[in-house]
Amino acid sequence: MSGADGVKRYDPEFTKRVYKMDNGKWVKMCMQCGICPTTCTLRDIMDHSPRRIIQLIRAGDKEQVLKSNTLWLCTSCYTCACRCPRGVPMMDVMHDLRHLAEEEGYITNQSHMAKVYYNDVAKRGRIWEGGLTMKYGLKIGIGNALKMAREMQDVGMEMLKHKRLSIFPPKGVKNPAKLRAVLQKAAALAKEEG
Amino acid sequence: MKYNYFPGCASEGTALANYHAFLAVAKKLGIELNEIEDWNCCGATVTSSVIGEFPAQVLAARNLALAEKQQRDTDIVTTCSSCYAILGLTNNKFADEEFKKKANEALKEDELEYTGNLNVRFLLDVLVNDIGVEKIEAAAEKPLKGLKVAGYVGCQSVKALRGHYDDPEYPESLDKIIRALGAEAVEFENSNKCCTGALALTAPEITVSAVHPIIDGAAKAGADLIVTPCPLCQMNLDAYQAKANKQFQTNNNLPVLFITQLMALAFGLSRKEAGLDYCIVSPYQKLSNWV
Ligand code: SF4
Ligand code: SF4
Ligand code: SF4
Ligand code: SF4
Repeated sequence: MSGADGVKRYDPEFTKRVYKMDNGKWVKMCMQCGICPTTCTLRDIMDHSPRRIIQLIRAGDKEQVLKSNTLWLCTSCYTCACRCPRGVPMMDVMHDLRHLAEEEGYITNQSHMAKVYYNDVAKRGRIWEGGLTMKYGLKIGIGNALKMAREMQDVGMEMLKHKRLSIFPPKGVKNPAKLRAVLQKAAALAKEEG
Repeated sequence: MKYNYFPGCASEGTALANYHAFLAVAKKLGIELNEIEDWNCCGATVTSSVIGEFPAQVLAARNLALAEKQQRDTDIVTTCSSCYAILGLTNNKFADEEFKKKANEALKEDELEYTGNLNVRFLLDVLVNDIGVEKIEAAAEKPLKGLKVAGYVGCQSVKALRGHYDDPEYPESLDKIIRALGAEAVEFENSNKCCTGALALTAPEITVSAVHPIIDGAAKAGADLIVTPCPLCQMNLDAYQAKANKQFQTNNNLPVLFITQLMALAFGLSRKEAGLDYCIVSPYQKLSNWV
């Protein structure tokens, strides 16, 4: 089936690709009962419910799935997983989808933050929470960063006042290069499989 | 009791209070904590979106391998819900021989290896099931008589590894500890709602709306303060409380403490050892009898 712009909307290859990911088997397991949306923390502001996301994956509606804010609003609270009759860990499916969305260049505030966060892990092996917001600010652009700084000034000041944000990065792991080697090897092994 | 201790990144920043209070409380209870040397960030739930699920699990597994190398057959204890979920779920993956082989192939790059033989435990589990409420009660030299405490467990520490040590929907461990300290554990509305965790950084308006019903529920139930075991929950309920008050025109003034901090106080430790100065909503008025 084609959309108005002639681009194929339903892509069976997309479905297959998700099935092959780490949590793809769960997408197959879902029986579309609709319990998860009723338990979901942020269902009200998600553009598609978790159940609907699964349905869209099966339909091969790549665009709708990967641009959905649902992927990024999922808080990984695991509430749905507690109640799903099939035991589907929806957040794990979301994690796979986030990875796909990243690869395909769908950008959100949360994907920016994920990158900044990961860069810290790769560089030092540990997160420097105090620096995270700063680097995130750089990533979202000066205009957005200033807006954030204005809105969050009160929270930030209190955090500083109560010594909750370290001004300097705490020490990282002894040999971050080795940690990176482990991650690179893991990525290579994951690729072999996929 | 001896453990491999995984503090997690929050303990070096936003949750320093928890770090110090836990060490002090552990000492009082005779818990030997050996911090895993050279531990790395567990990756939380965000790393997999950048590098994929398997490499993210290997990142977490490096800590398990280090722990095993440093203290064999010794449980790992962690004080962060998210770390517990990530480390625990990754640990479970090692039951799968194929996963184990592949993960160890990657870990070899850092001369590490993991058998899958350790247990990953959460703070509350260790306190209630290894130490026991009787011992906690006995250590409470200054019982918190008359204090009404709303225990907010959060989600990941009970729901990610369902049924490991507590009921995922109606958890009891936290309230048991509150009672052992001599305080009253109040039931409150929205105690099982999620605070939206790390979204606080990228979508604070969502977090403000999420923490409001939780704080308000505790206030309406007559609580003097809220306690939680989780660094993210603590930060969200504490640091965003003023914003929630403003947006929802409320006047809630509920200090939010780590359970370890409340234990420290009941154990007769000083305000400094309990790390009370790290609290944003001031706890001093409500706790004047014990500080
Ligand atoms: S609760 Fe489980 S089976 Fe039901 S729709 Fe959600 S994921 Fe599918
Ligand atoms: S884990 Fe995600 S999808 Fe499931 S209930 Fe929580 S927020 Fe919703
Ligand atoms: S989950 Fe949070 S606290 Fe735990 S190691 Fe990762 S970044 Fe640190
Ligand atoms: S309650 Fe908050 S910190 Fe705890 S798991 Fe949910 S989102 Fe995370």
